[in-house]
Amino acid sequence: MKIQNLSREEVLKSLVSSEQGLSEENARRRLQEYGLNEIKEVRKRPLYLKFLSQFTHFLAILLWIASALSLLSEYLHPGEGMLTLGIAIIAVIFINAIFTFIQEYRAEKALKALKRLLPFYVQVLRDGKEIEIHAIEVVPGDIIMLSEGDKIPADSRLIETVELKVNNAPLTGESELMLRNHEPFQGEFIESPNIVFAGTTVVSGSGKAIAFATGMTTEFGRIAHLTSAVEAGLSPLQREIVKATRLVATIAAVVGIFFFSLGFVIGRSFWDNFIFAIGITVALIPEGMLPTMTLSLAMGSQRMARRKALMKTLTSVETLGAVTVICTDKTGTLTQNKMAVTKIWSNNTIIDVQDLRKENVFELFKIVYLCNNTRVIDGQYKGDPTEVALLKVARETIGDFSADRIKEIPFDSERKRMTTINIIPPSPLYQRGARGDLLPLEKEGKGGLYAFTKGATEGLFPLCSHVLLNGGKVPLDESLRRNTIEAYHSLMDMGLRVLSFAYKEIGEMHDMRSEIETGMVFVGLIGLEDPPRPEVPEAIRKCSGAGIKVIMITGDGSRTAVAIAREIGLVIGTPVVIEGHEFDQMSDEELRGKLSGEKVIFARMTPKHKMRVVSILKEEGEIVAVTGDGVNDAPALKKADIGIAMGISGTDVAKEASDMILLDDNFATIVNAVEEGRTVYENIKKFITYIFASNIPEAVPYLTYILFRIPLPLTVIQILAVDLGTDMLPALALGAERPTPGVMNQPPRKLQERLLNFPLIVRSYLFLGPIESIACMFGFFYILYHGGWIWGTMLPPHDILYLQATTACLTAIIITQVGNVFACRSSRESILSIGLFSNKLIFGGILVEILLQLFIVYHPIGNKIFGTAPLSLNVWLILIPFSIGLLGAEELRKFYVRRKIMNHG
Amino acid sequence: MPCAVSIEHMYKKILAAVNEFTNSEIAARYAIALAKSCQARLSLIFVAENGIDMNTLRHAESALERLFVDAHSQGIEVESITENGDPFQEILAMVKKDHTDIVFVATRREDVTKRFFVKTLARDFMVRLPCSVAMVRVVRMGKTHPKNILVPFKGRMTNLEERAYFVAKLAQIFDSTVTLFHSPRPITSFFHGEIQLKPAQREKHIPKDVEEFMKYLDRYKIIHEKRIGHGSIARSITIEAAQKRNDLIIMGASERSLFRSIMSGNPVENVLRETPSNLIILRPHSVIDAQRNIKTIK
Repeated sequence: MKIQNLSREEVLKSLVSSEQGLSEENARRRLQEYGLNEIKEVRKRPLYLKFLSQFTHFLAILLWIASALSLLSEYLHPGEGMLTLGIAIIAVIFINAIFTFIQEYRAEKALKALKRLLPFYVQVLRDGKEIEIHAIEVVPGDIIMLSEGDKIPADSRLIETVELKVNNAPLTGESELMLRNHEPFQGEFIESPNIVFAGTTVVSGSGKAIAFATGMTTEFGRIAHLTSAVEAGLSPLQREIVKATRLVATIAAVVGIFFFSLGFVIGRSFWDNFIFAIGITVALIPEGMLPTMTLSLAMGSQRMARRKALMKTLTSVETLGAVTVICTDKTGTLTQNKMAVTKIWSNNTIIDVQDLRKENVFELFKIVYLCNNTRVIDGQYKGDPTEVALLKVARETIGDFSADRIKEIPFDSERKRMTTINIIPPSPLYQRGARGDLLPLEKEGKGGLYAFTKGATEGLFPLCSHVLLNGGKVPLDESLRRNTIEAYHSLMDMGLRVLSFAYKEIGEMHDMRSEIETGMVFVGLIGLEDPPRPEVPEAIRKCSGAGIKVIMITGDGSRTAVAIAREIGLVIGTPVVIEGHEFDQMSDEELRGKLSGEKVIFARMTPKHKMRVVSILKEEGEIVAVTGDGVNDAPALKKADIGIAMGISGTDVAKEASDMILLDDNFATIVNAVEEGRTVYENIKKFITYIFASNIPEAVPYLTYILFRIPLPLTVIQILAVDLGTDMLPALALGAERPTPGVMNQPPRKLQERLLNFPLIVRSYLFLGPIESIACMFGFFYILYHGGWIWGTMLPPHDILYLQATTACLTAIIITQVGNVFACRSSRESILSIGLFSNKLIFGGILVEILLQLFIVYHPIGNKIFGTAPLSLNVWLILIPFSIGLLGAEELRKFYVRRKIMNHG
Repeated sequence: MPCAVSIEHMYKKILAAVNEFTNSEIAARYAIALAKSCQARLSLIFVAENGIDMNTLRHAESALERLFVDAHSQGIEVESITENGDPFQEILAMVKKDHTDIVFVATRREDVTKRFFVKTLARDFMVRLPCSVAMVRVVRMGKTHPKNILVPFKGRMTNLEERAYFVAKLAQIFDSTVTLFHSPRPITSFFHGEIQLKPAQREKHIPKDVEEFMKYLDRYKIIHEKRIGHGSIARSITIEAAQKRNDLIIMGASERSLFRSIMSGNPVENVLRETPSNLIILRPHSVIDAQRNIKTIK
């Protein structure tokens, strides 16, 4: 027998408890067995281990080896500057580790937010006495005393109730009052009215419940478990970074080992080969890539924040750009969540709200008035938006109306209706003995006890035996039934949320709701509109152009959902519509098939369904963004590639579990953020091209050194000056490029598409890099030959001619990188068409780059650190044409690429 | 050996160890259910250690009494035994004397907090008893009647017949459905990192033993489904159980050595710690036989 099926005695027996509650000793023992009643994080890799792992991946290991070799060579050949190099390489490892860790770091606070929903103290029965204990000390078998305002500490079975109503919003996401009872229930555990759940609140009434699950084994704990354990996995960018760094590190290692061996074959000394191996490794590794990427993502998140999308993790900035599916709520996200009555069906006619006449809707609005929990305080309406909208229109049409309420059967999501029982006073018209148009219901104004019900038509209409037509009660025949259903459907097809209204005269007070809610008189239908946000249709059109599938998930009925979807342009033909009850019955395979449809709408859904939708979409290789605001949205928000919480209506738990918070709850903001995300990815490719291009002029000097027996044209420290110094700000400026016009007119990038793809490597390594290499070798030999150097002569490391020559080599790289930064601003478009001055940060970056180089070349400290010597102005002037030449060559390449694309349509 | 016995009569004698803690009483309820399902004889035993206080004794004996009444009222041939001495030695003696087929024991707090069950009573039971052992971790007192049982499946399953019998008999008595769950090891490559497989691709990694297992379940008319997870094995099992609200997980005892557990973790131990539902770890009899045979050959 399941806990909800059992009688009071059986519950006590099953949980080995008694009417007096547990004894203190027994409770202590159980606390020892079952642990504290608290929400705990599932065991995860500690933060320090995550940080340490940044020092042990393949690239880091390669750098550790390079630094160890440098330190070893300092020991063997002191004074050659290898100590500085060893330390510099270790600094590179730390810089990369810190920046990668910053990218991946995410404060996990969702569980803290969940914990806040549990109570601190509770009243329990122990040894027959009512005592107050810390909620964390509640154990299975404890009898908990519940009264109005209490938060429930553990999943418990009710054994006594007095009009107990709870609010299950933290679990169900629906803020509605649920009447609970203590009778055995034969249905599902989760729907059982004799079960109360941890984290929910007693709104009114009182009761006694016996705890059967505590801590992480409660339903609340289940959400915590999923929120904490579910991981979205590596973001597309993180996966790409892993691949790119492994590829680059492998190339560096292979090239290093190959030329190290070649050096031996051609008779170079071990020491020469040693310097070469370290140099080529450092040259081919883009040390500045990860810091630049992190800073660029941070800048992207700043731009998104200005567009009302708050990013919580840096890599999510780029993930947004890769999103292929957005699963979005309807109410409040696609629509304004401003309910307004627009259509009324009464007396067999659909009436516009502007055309209302009091006499046509008096009976209907009386029910609206009485069967309503909205309060009007100082002219302000307080209550559920739907009820507020109903009351507003009723007050405006028929004025104020009052009748004592003696009972309420609250709304719940299963029954989908609420009923009040009121004493209707005799009508003034009746008292005057007159009979006019204003007949108060059927007793011609005599007053009495009435039940008023409003709710979903599917549930309420079958309970009606009559319909009120022109003030008279008419038995419901087939034709009236058909008319009502047709009116219901046509209101829903207008995208309206439709409520039905009925009443019944009851002779005396009944306790049995089944007797009250039967044989009712159907009075009419009211259609409420929640208008779409004005920006949404354009955002939906953008999604469509950008190849992003939008799936609507709503609690509304399917007709209303489809009508709204049509209104905002989400649906043109016939969509795949799945309702909550069908969803529960579907296997994963069936659901997978349905989700492959072009347009999919989920209707009558609850938040608990979302995680399954997200999981299946992710299994199909989609990059999924999902919106959510409730506590039980948290697991789906965590599971999705991008969990989006609502900034205004969202709970703290949803916000903490998400990757992005919409400050305005607006769907259009998601689409803006996607555009920004795509731009970030494009820009990352731009600065990677820029950074990788400079690796070739860093590597070529080493190859010439080992192959042609010349002095080393560029030292390792000078390479690091470029990679971690002068290159950084121009690269960052490339990260701030504006979106290209067609960024939202192309499909999301394929997951198979590599960050380091073939065209990018060819462009940077085989086109831009070689031009820079020519410049740097030219600068090196220009100085040497003008200083009287003869081929084959080796120069001591501190010879001024040698220092000047390496400085010229370094300066040539810096100068050509200035031309390169302009070249990398686009892959196809001419620099003139995108606007030379459209990204002002580029000029800032170049200015800092040149100032740094001036410091390196002309300041004694710069000279000392980087092994440089001042150059004359003419060296700079001779090198500038290489930069212009590079830009010109790129313009020519772009011209041919554009022409090729045009020729191929 | 159980394999040699007709599957219909695999468990004829069941023993449930009871102590002063309620979770042992709940664990014994699973033993009662299995005994009823297999029409087996049930022995309920409490071993009072030397120096036990009266309170503890009272708690344990009243639990024993409740269980006895419960089992008896269900028509099970049941006996209740109280012994003095070392719990393991007494139960070992009882198992040998009675030729018990399976012993139910409940985990204690220390089994969950200590790594690799080192020096715990549970480890003694799991490793040294010459019969099958079902170690039960009770985390939800009120959910002992499972609606759905999750059975995680590893690559190669030993003692398939006994495992299937155990699951089928419990599912039968509780009228539960069974989900066979397999979480294949993630596929990785040097340059691509973890490779994400689509469900259809992962389907190919479902061990063939699952089909065999399903045949046994069919024999007992148990409704079943198979599901595939991915990612860390233990984490995917607990997520599946939490997401699908499984009331009971039945998984095989770990066959990993202590060294391997230290090096690459122990999924069974991790599930034991983080399970969101009640958990039975089953160690079929012939596993220990097989281990002993290996030692003898060496």
